[in-house]
Amino acid sequence: MAKLHSAKIIHLTCVMVLTLPILTGCWDRLEIEDRAVVLGVSIDKAPPESANQETEVAHVEGANPIPPEDMIRVAVQIAIPGRIPLGPGESGGGGGGGGGKSSAANTVWVLHVVGHSIDDALMNLQQQVASSLFFGHLRVIVISEEVAKKGLENINDYFRRNSEVRRMAWILVAKGEAMQFLTAAPKLERVPTLYLLSTLEEGFRMGKFPQDFIGMFWSNSSKKGQEGFLPYVELKKENNVEIAYFKGPKMVGSTSPLEIGAYMAIKGINPAGYRVIVQLNGAADTVITAATHRKARYSVRIAEGRPHFTIHIAFEQNVEEKYSEHIGIDNQEILSNIEKKQAQVAVEYFEQFIRKTQEAHSDIFGFGEYIRAKRPAFWNRNVKTKEKWQEMYKDAEFDVTVTMKIRRVGMKAR
Amino acid sequence: MDKTRQITMIQIAAILVSTIIGVGVLPLPLFAVNALDSGAPLITLAAVLFGFISLLLLSLLGMRFPRQTIIQYSEQIIGKWPARAGSLLVIVFFAVLTSLTAREFGEVVVTSVLKNTPVEVTVIVMLLLATFSTRNDVTVFAYIHYFYFPLILFPALFIVALSLKNADALNLQPIWGNDPQGVIPGALTIAALFQGSFILTSVIPSMRRPQKALLASVVGMVIAGGLYVIIVAATVGVFGAEETKKLLWPTLELAKATSLPANVLERLDAAFLIVWVTAVFTTLLSSYFLTTQSLGLLFRLRDHKLFAFFLLPFVFVLAMLPQNIVQMYTIVRMVGRIGLILTLAYPALLLLVSILRKKRGEPVGEVAQR
Repeated sequence: MAKLHSAKIIHLTCVMVLTLPILTGCWDRLEIEDRAVVLGVSIDKAPPESANQETEVAHVEGANPIPPEDMIRVAVQIAIPGRIPLGPGESGGGGGGGGGKSSAANTVWVLHVVGHSIDDALMNLQQQVASSLFFGHLRVIVISEEVAKKGLENINDYFRRNSEVRRMAWILVAKGEAMQFLTAAPKLERVPTLYLLSTLEEGFRMGKFPQDFIGMFWSNSSKKGQEGFLPYVELKKENNVEIAYFKGPKMVGSTSPLEIGAYMAIKGINPAGYRVIVQLNGAADTVITAATHRKARYSVRIAEGRPHFTIHIAFEQNVEEKYSEHIGIDNQEILSNIEKKQAQVAVEYFEQFIRKTQEAHSDIFGFGEYIRAKRPAFWNRNVKTKEKWQEMYKDAEFDVTVTMKIRRVGMKAR
Repeated sequence: MDKTRQITMIQIAAILVSTIIGVGVLPLPLFAVNALDSGAPLITLAAVLFGFISLLLLSLLGMRFPRQTIIQYSEQIIGKWPARAGSLLVIVFFAVLTSLTAREFGEVVVTSVLKNTPVEVTVIVMLLLATFSTRNDVTVFAYIHYFYFPLILFPALFIVALSLKNADALNLQPIWGNDPQGVIPGALTIAALFQGSFILTSVIPSMRRPQKALLASVVGMVIAGGLYVIIVAATVGVFGAEETKKLLWPTLELAKATSLPANVLERLDAAFLIVWVTAVFTTLLSSYFLTTQSLGLLFRLRDHKLFAFFLLPFVFVLAMLPQNIVQMYTIVRMVGRIGLILTLAYPALLLLVSILRKKRGEPVGEVAQR
């Protein structure tokens, strides 16, 4: 009996000893304060004299095939542990400065380096930071227009390969310098990148901007019959968002803010959130309507070897404002008039916008994908590759029809 | 009541499902889109049907010889020495499959989660886990699978269902694909992911009613195959075929791109990996169990526990042989296709000869109700 007992103890000890290494997981232990949590990254073209500033970190001096003219300046925004306010109630945030400007400087630390590629630059940067850079919370990547026009291949490759980066981060293209977005001190949010992010996410919620995560941009640019687009931002007093459209990895143009509305209408993205001025006869008859719902239907036929699309877009609208008491919005006739007038203007505007992207060979709508999916015989015979579709997109014909329905007029009877 | 025949039909189905779902789910959509871009779900379905043939043959054989595994009845059918050669091939193949599964697991973990942990450590830990669990008899083995089966299936379905929010039906059209390139090799590679179903032959002799083996394999294959098709459809639906071609493990990326509603969890890859580790464990367990049990039967031993630790160093060294991840996947594809000959042609041959020679095993009487 005693023998059995001791055997049991030995068994148990063995099991415990053997399972111990399985239960741990210390190999990759990295305490949170040993991590430099990167919230935002900006990528600019490096100033010309920067080749001299560089030290040997990721390459041997003079052995780099990338010429110094193509060097980039990468800035990262690192969250300072303990300074990020966790909730709205925590107003001191540790630093306690109170003023808008000083609080942004307190919560994050922005530092920048130059390099030949993203990883090269980040390694140069790591050289200056004690803790290891962690990209798991990276939310925003800002790229200057100049770099975007040169092409994002290197940037896409690095962030796709990195397993920490989430597909729900955003890439933005900045008008002018990209780094200023990391240092700007917004009033509403303590952390600059989070403010930038909420601009975009609220934009999506209000129907002002389509959802366009980094993963969606990648998927769209990969597709054979579609091109990617990115938010194109400008730092004025507040942020201003437009769309930068791409051809392959290169940015080829940008829209106006209202053209984002056109884009969303053609794609039928909801909720709708754009307001437009409709002029009936003269300046006194002007009303403003707000779209609440969009719906788009496509059909395509092939005529003379090129695709001919018919796009039907339906809107639901509310009247929001009128300019004077000259007209009363209280009968069917006036509503029909507004609907007709607005539809007419919209058709022209949409067609013009499509033409603009056609000229840039940038099918951000994915009409090519529509052909690939619905007319595979034509696609396989005549298109097949992305380059071929970029060519053919220019010659595609579009017929846009728009139906407007005004449903409500607000709280005023006339 | 026969004490050694306790495994029920549902348990067999669970064993098949949790064995089939394994490391392969991560690169599965990549294999499928490389074969037939937007027709990826279709080719997966074709591969499921193809993989089912082997399972069908095995269950027919198992119902003919309800008291024996393939190691034993093959000797009756084609004679002692040819059968022993065949059995040895099966054993070697499943040892290799075990090692490749462990290595593939290690590569994923080192690339995506534990970057500083040596791959040897993750591989040996997983192999040790499988080794300990293999040292049980077949009834416990069945219970382990039965226990993990819902833990693998339902979270996986849940994650896929959540990801469908971002899917676009255009990405899945045309359903027969635009550019069929290497459809046959692609389908074979995917069909090779179902080879674990060979485990059926090990458990039939312990089934309460071996006549139900066929039904069990149909149920198992419908669930596992269905999940595979759904995973491929969701991945291609969300990313599109061209983007999927750029991802090494599209299913993991799908989990990464999926978030719980209201952003409770912004990325589900961690949750997915937990499920997936369980799935890999059950797969490893099955192939290792099959290897050790068959070896025991081949040497006419009463019990296979001896081999569990004896084989471990060999399997570990085999797992460490591929030099890099590209070479590993080349080997995985190659071994998979060679294995198809073994898991398909060998049972087919056995069944044919057994029909021609009118060989049959001792039937098992209907077990009395409790």
